[in-house]
Amino acid sequence: MKLKVFRYDGESGKGGKSGKFHYDSFEIESGPGMTVLSALFKIQEELDDSLAFRYSCRGAVCGSCGMLINKVPRLACRTQVEYLLKGEGQVKLRPFPGMEETVSWDPEEEVLVEPLPNLAKIKDLIVDMDKFFKFYRAVEPTFKPASKAPEKERLMDHEAVSELEKYTNCVLCASCVGACPISGKKGDEGEGEEAKGEIKEFLGPAALAKLYRFHIDPREADDDSRLLLANDKSGWWGCEFNANCKAVCPKGVPPILGIGKARREVQKLGKEPK
Amino acid sequence: MGGEETESGYPIHTHDVIIIGAGLTGLRAAIETVDAGLDTAVISKVHPLRSHSVAAQGGMNAALGNAQAGDSWEDHAFDTVKGSDYLADQDAVELMCKNAPGAVIELEHFGTVFSRLEDGRIAQRPFGGGMFPRTCYAADRTGHNILHTLYEQLMGRELEQSSGSKESKESKENKENKENKGSRGNEERKSGGRITFYEEFFVTSLVKSGLSYGEKGPEQGERCVGCTCINLVDRTLHGFSCRALLLATGGFGRLFTRSTNALINTGDGASLALRAGVPLKDMEFVQFHPTTLYGTNILITEGARGEGGYLLNKKNERFMKDYVPKAMELAPRDIVARSIQQEIDECRGFDDKYVLLDLRHLGKDKILERLPGIRLISMDFAGVDPIEEPIPVQPGQHYSMGGISVGNDLATEVPGLYAAGECSCVSVHGANRLGGNSLLETVVFGKLAGQGIGKFLSSSGSGARPGEEDGKADRKAVLEKLSKEAERVKALLARDSGVKMAGLRDELQKLMFESFGVFREGKKMEEGLEKLLKLKSRYPEVYIDNKSAVFNQALIYALELRGLFDIAEAVSRGAIARKESRGSHARTDYPDRDDENFLAHTIYRLEGPGAEGKPGRKVEGKPGIRPEGKPVLEYLPVRLGKFPVKERVY
Repeated sequence: MKLKVFRYDGESGKGGKSGKFHYDSFEIESGPGMTVLSALFKIQEELDDSLAFRYSCRGAVCGSCGMLINKVPRLACRTQVEYLLKGEGQVKLRPFPGMEETVSWDPEEEVLVEPLPNLAKIKDLIVDMDKFFKFYRAVEPTFKPASKAPEKERLMDHEAVSELEKYTNCVLCASCVGACPISGKKGDEGEGEEAKGEIKEFLGPAALAKLYRFHIDPREADDDSRLLLANDKSGWWGCEFNANCKAVCPKGVPPILGIGKARREVQKLGKEPK
Repeated sequence: MGGEETESGYPIHTHDVIIIGAGLTGLRAAIETVDAGLDTAVISKVHPLRSHSVAAQGGMNAALGNAQAGDSWEDHAFDTVKGSDYLADQDAVELMCKNAPGAVIELEHFGTVFSRLEDGRIAQRPFGGGMFPRTCYAADRTGHNILHTLYEQLMGRELEQSSGSKESKESKENKENKENKGSRGNEERKSGGRITFYEEFFVTSLVKSGLSYGEKGPEQGERCVGCTCINLVDRTLHGFSCRALLLATGGFGRLFTRSTNALINTGDGASLALRAGVPLKDMEFVQFHPTTLYGTNILITEGARGEGGYLLNKKNERFMKDYVPKAMELAPRDIVARSIQQEIDECRGFDDKYVLLDLRHLGKDKILERLPGIRLISMDFAGVDPIEEPIPVQPGQHYSMGGISVGNDLATEVPGLYAAGECSCVSVHGANRLGGNSLLETVVFGKLAGQGIGKFLSSSGSGARPGEEDGKADRKAVLEKLSKEAERVKALLARDSGVKMAGLRDELQKLMFESFGVFREGKKMEEGLEKLLKLKSRYPEVYIDNKSAVFNQALIYALELRGLFDIAEAVSRGAIARKESRGSHARTDYPDRDDENFLAHTIYRLEGPGAEGKPGRKVEGKPGIRPEGKPVLEYLPVRLGKFPVKERVY
């Protein structure tokens, strides 16, 4: 089989210039259990040691290796090559920027590997995560307990924990952002507001899921402070319910559900933005 | 980035404290130093949330007594000491176990979502070698939950420091409100603390400076004053100048072919310390986890057995009955790993490679609630749904009990240099670590390291702010090291032929697993060391084709490989010299524990040429050790305590 890999020369792309890119095809012997990540390592070790990609745990828990594989954002470490060649596990997605055909490939013979869309490219499969984490920080992702710390743990019931777990399972791999048709688009307010330090681009599914996680934490204040932090088009109201986020999440996190629930809560409070 | 200045073309960053490594230990220490008002930098070769701590599954031990009343820190300490095969230092174990309940509660107060009992308290499950169900957990994603929590805490501090200037705008009422809520309970936070992350920076060396602030002469006054790094994004070299430096770089699992560890676990910190003249302790004690997924060696948590999972051989027998009939699957890791290996070696495994871990009898609901991550791992990486089929497992390297030699204050021999977490050896794990004690170690000793550094840097401590002259000398030392490191990198990049990096690394990993694996034997290890030294002698010829400046990962692998060789030699020399079996160190030629000769820690250091090294010899503190120093072994007595040394029976 072949791995068709997006190559981007980061050096020519410095200083805002758009760098040169092309695709390289690598012939690889695939065996049972070979993942896209192990195929990439094989290329690095045997064929081309200049290929660049992020990695760490190789066990689908660290979130390093989110990339676009056969036009679907996935973790390279948990995606089996043979599985793809057999055409299994296809994910139906609404159109998003990365889906556009940029190169032809034969899904029965080849696996197409590209960097995550909606984030600036640095080199080959490595994207700049600064914006992703800027939006993460924008939702103030720090636990703010409602009461002074008791001597022992605060009590929580099972239901609260299992509802929270849906969102705390996020590994921040940015697959959802890569698949989101809204992420990467500029918001209504445009450049002028940005100059004042306000982020107007859609915060994206991962950041909003994180915000929702804190909102529903029963140990935090039962008020609307978390809800109102994203009460505009860059937040809850930017989502158009394409559901790509939930479909691609390797950890089963449903940002779209959290966003929908947050909106209904805001509506109930009568604080919907105009 | 705070305190940046450029001299001779290299950026030099100045901070009070530098922490290398952003896993649980590094982040917990950073919270402490920031809250002590110190300007703290965290350097990591990956984004903090990609650190290997994120992969910890089963949980963290603490005698909360939630799941079963009657547990105490003393029982926890006894289990730990017995589990360590009496090699752990008992005062260190006491320190850890006493601090355990507070550490778990603190994490809960920081926001970690732990799994709960019916009454809402933190749930606990049984783990191997424990008298009580003592392991607090967040399903089977405990490390993930805690690492994200600690990072989130630091995000809060970062936000406060960046909005510090805006603070006057905030209404007073609002501020008071915030203080009342106080996310840290009763503890006071000093102002002025700062946190800066240097992500995707690879540390290439530590910097020492020979000048002292105090009355000590310059020779004894060598302090750690910084480090040198490569920024992965553009391959630029950066210098860091600091008053205290903490190594929190994790373990060295990637020294072995089969390991549960993340691919980034190359033991960088141990090698950095060794080359800075600091000894390593007990490096031969390497933990092999009994249940790693056949094929990829991804960890299958001990919690799976804690929840009631069975181990089966190909005759469909729960073979643990033949080894440890009482404890069965919940004997400590070293014992279960050896039992599995023996089953495989004696042809009772499957394909002579693995045995089965059967969870089916737990039922779908329990598996989905308590072990959802294990189910996903089994399905994703082995195509097996544990609800329907047993999981194929085999032993694999998992943890390094040994590490950089530190005391209970986490300080090394070099003033200003600290180490904590898996890269260090206090020692709380001795010859075998109990499951659930490593997460505990990270947060307890991460915090203590932060406090120790705070004390060291306080106005009364010996690391008080340097005068202008000393500060200059420190930065000069950083610059000198930078130009040396630049030469080393340049030479590596200039080589166009020689030995391929990947091939050499593969050979090393295979050799270490074969010669220094679950079972060890004198002659085999001697031959292994000989081969190792041959491989090591080829390292200077390593070349890479990649000459790119942007994300040159080949260059990083080549630099990591030098460190792996340093560690490999420490592991193998320690293992050969220890002529006994204790904990994870199981020798077929010396099957018994020998307390008379080996109830002692192995100390491994590099000395300048001409120094004679023989066990038990006292070595004077020697500054200025040359990087290619001669390996020397010594032994340090174990600090015993209330638990008398006994035979270890389960």
